[in-house]
Amino acid sequence: MLWKLPSLLQRSATMILLVLTFAAALGFAAVSHLVTRYTANQQARGRRLYDIGLAAAKAGHYDDAISALRAALTCDPTNSQYQLSLARALRDSDDSTDNSRLEEAQSYLVALWQRTPQDAAVNLALARVAAHRGSVEDATRYYHNAMYGVWNSDADASRNRARVELIQFLLKKGAVAQADSELIALSTALPPDPDEQLQAARLFQQAHDYAGALARYEEVIRLAPLNAEAQAGAGETAYRSGNYALAQRFLRAAVNSNPDDTNTRQLLASADLVLKANPFLSHISDAERNRRIEAAFAQAEERLTGCAGQAGVDLKAASPSAANYPASPLPILQARWLASKPDLDRLRSPAETDLPDTIMDVVFQIEQQTAAVCGPPKGLDQALLLISQKREAAAL
Amino acid sequence: MSNLAPVVVAANPEAAPAPRPAAPRRLFAGLEDVFHEEVFFLILCVFIGIFSGLAVVCFRLAIDWMHLALLGPLPQAHSWHLFAVPALAGLVVAALVLHVFPGIRGSGVNQTKSALYIFNGYIPFRTAVGKFICASIAIGSGQSLGPEDPSLQIGASIASALGRQLEISREKLRLMAPVGAAAGLAAAFNAPISAVLFVIEEVIGRWSAGILGSVVLSAVASVVVVRSFLGSEPLFRIPITTFKRPSELLAYAVLGIIGGLASVIFAKSVGYLRPRLKAWPRWTHYLQPAIAGLLVGLIGFLGLPQVMGAGYDSMDQAMHGQFTWKILALLAVFKIVATTISFVSGTPGGMFAPTLFVGAMLGGAVGDIERILFPHLTGSTGTYVLVGMGVLFAGFLRVPMTSVFMVLEVSGNYEIIVPVIVANTFSYVVSRSLQTIPIFDLLTRQDGLILPSLEEEREEVILHVEDAMLPAPVVILNAQDYVDANARRVQDSAEPAFLVRMHPSGWNLVTREQLQRMDREGKGELTLASVLPKQSLPSLYPDLPLDSALRYVNDYALVPVVNRANSHKLEGVVSRDSVFQKYGSGRVVDVPSVD
Repeated sequence: MLWKLPSLLQRSATMILLVLTFAAALGFAAVSHLVTRYTANQQARGRRLYDIGLAAAKAGHYDDAISALRAALTCDPTNSQYQLSLARALRDSDDSTDNSRLEEAQSYLVALWQRTPQDAAVNLALARVAAHRGSVEDATRYYHNAMYGVWNSDADASRNRARVELIQFLLKKGAVAQADSELIALSTALPPDPDEQLQAARLFQQAHDYAGALARYEEVIRLAPLNAEAQAGAGETAYRSGNYALAQRFLRAAVNSNPDDTNTRQLLASADLVLKANPFLSHISDAERNRRIEAAFAQAEERLTGCAGQAGVDLKAASPSAANYPASPLPILQARWLASKPDLDRLRSPAETDLPDTIMDVVFQIEQQTAAVCGPPKGLDQALLLISQKREAAAL
Repeated sequence: MSNLAPVVVAANPEAAPAPRPAAPRRLFAGLEDVFHEEVFFLILCVFIGIFSGLAVVCFRLAIDWMHLALLGPLPQAHSWHLFAVPALAGLVVAALVLHVFPGIRGSGVNQTKSALYIFNGYIPFRTAVGKFICASIAIGSGQSLGPEDPSLQIGASIASALGRQLEISREKLRLMAPVGAAAGLAAAFNAPISAVLFVIEEVIGRWSAGILGSVVLSAVASVVVVRSFLGSEPLFRIPITTFKRPSELLAYAVLGIIGGLASVIFAKSVGYLRPRLKAWPRWTHYLQPAIAGLLVGLIGFLGLPQVMGAGYDSMDQAMHGQFTWKILALLAVFKIVATTISFVSGTPGGMFAPTLFVGAMLGGAVGDIERILFPHLTGSTGTYVLVGMGVLFAGFLRVPMTSVFMVLEVSGNYEIIVPVIVANTFSYVVSRSLQTIPIFDLLTRQDGLILPSLEEEREEVILHVEDAMLPAPVVILNAQDYVDANARRVQDSAEPAFLVRMHPSGWNLVTREQLQRMDREGKGELTLASVLPKQSLPSLYPDLPLDSALRYVNDYALVPVVNRANSHKLEGVVSRDSVFQKYGSGRVVDVPSVD
């Protein structure tokens, strides 16, 4: 026997247990010291490999980064930071033809999430993986977890950034309603920072929430009155929402600030035309209204004739029956235009209060139908079409 | 204590003289008031678990340190280190095995079984030291072996040494080695349930409250120790596993069949090469581990460094779909080759981890191929990898219960229990039909030891009392009847002895001569109950093992076999002749008189 307990001890079970306990405690102390030293060495080695991996990932050398981070993890297998970084490298290196790295990234992240489900960084990484996969449900869940999770620093800004990412993802996936509700939540949490307000305004605009977008642009203009992008954005959103007077004001300011912005100039021209052609504006005289109606009626005829020529429909030879031209509404429109032409003479009569609407209805029908047959119009026709759309929206 | 002979210890149990039986109950002669031996033994099991856990923590650190020092944190293919290091380490290991630790060659499982059945629980402590050093070098340098078997043996050696020191009873000392083995294995796998099941299924082979309690205590204690130092992280990052449609069980059954075939190839390769290499001249034994290391290293050098070492990192990657099915299949094949080479060369190390590795890669490959052929299959690669691990465990190590619990415990996911059971069953059946002798029994027989084959014992047909039961006798006497009436009833019967139904319960036996003598002695007017001994005849139930009849048939000419629901209802009788005939002994022993 290599070793032997003193025979004295063997007479007492209590003594034996005491000796065993002492030996176990001694063993614990010795192994603890050993493990501590070994772990410290391993952690130092792991840190070096981790730094190499991070640098490689930053340079876009994902294969090298993954190798280094894997090696770092073999040195310190439970290090959450290493796992998170490896998962990020795996996710970023994943290509669309091979999802295996994305799966591995997810497994690392799920393991981390199981340990710290409240960790915002882990949830955000998982959300990005889910977004990479295109899963709206999972991505939304993890983004929300990230927003309401624990951030190590700059929590409010990080939460807003996470929400912005979610909105961008939802917009990309066509989930506009969800994106809009997130935007409303975002707008209440945004700080008075022009850049962030501007970003939110753009997102509102992408979600077709022009009222929301206009409010954000106006906030930017309040914070930075000379911000040309905000002026143009505000003008455009006002234009899209049918508020052409406001649009004209913002667009004019934007063109003044940035005369090279052709899109804004075109929108301004269009808004000017709308405001000049609209016979329903309250501040214009009856004579001006009648003039605008007559001009619109004449323009409609011109548009109809031009469109018929483009579509190869002979309006003069055609009978206005649907049997002759089952595929084209243009002859019927011409018939209606001709039928309304005598009404122009009665416009000045004070008793004919509905006549402007009746005549303009014909104009609007012609503009809408020709737009459908011959494509989007330009100039005054476009202005008339926009006025018709605004009237329809108001009627709803 | 001083009058006890000293314990005889030798480095090699095969060369050792028959170990001295431990002093029976000596330790507890004056301590019964303080600690009952059973209680003390259970406390001792906890300490065994603690010491084994501490040893296994050190062992794992040693392997990791060796691996980092010799091969670096992440060995890459085409590096000369890959074949030079294991080859040189093989030379060192061979020298140590041949000159310093000659008892460490072979399987730790078998050495623990030998300790239990042959050496009265004796395993030299030097074995633990040798396994620790040599397995650390071998596995750390990249030999395709696992740390679980050495951990098992380190635990068993510590337990055996402690038991001998404390001079506990021989019966308990025999159990010490399996208890330590369970602790070592549990610590190595971080899986106490599987370790307990493995030791009971493969080493001890029987269940009882005492055995289970001691093994569980040691296993749990060791796992607690390991987790307190190394954390409770599982061996693998568990992937998302899915099992949605029962029809997919067919796919898992195919995996089970292929796994069973792979197990047979693996086992036959080891079984064929090991005795041949062992029989080569002794000087070649210095070179065998080095050549094995060189060959394993070459496999790594040529592009498959994953086959080197235990391979847990690669299993982890396979679970997360990091390899194509072609790579997975190649890894499975070359891991079998590498492990066979490493193991048969006599390099110390175990086959648990390689078995899991082969199963994981095979499972992944088969799963991927099946999903290419049948795209509707929903099981992820990770699911097939996990199931594959259990398949090889069931087919190669032939521990069906452990294999199921192993997968469940490692994965922590009960969703895949049905696929695991189905695949493991197929694997086990295929392996058993093509490879009659399980790998551990094969290794034992190659070493010239005859240990009980627990698989054979499990499959053995057990004879029951009903198999030897004779029809109930025509004449059954009633204890409430008078002696003379009973004497008249048996007058014309040819039987020498008759069963007596006692009241309110029980049976007795009386011979014709006894009845006639009592009648002659004037006891004819007395009831039979009043003259027969009060002690009733033992009775048996039809479903009892026939062994239980052996206790009585020598003492009683007839033993009643009664119904369990109604002990007065006689199902039949057994006699010594009927029992012996069933056993086929053909011996005829004089029936002692009931007098």
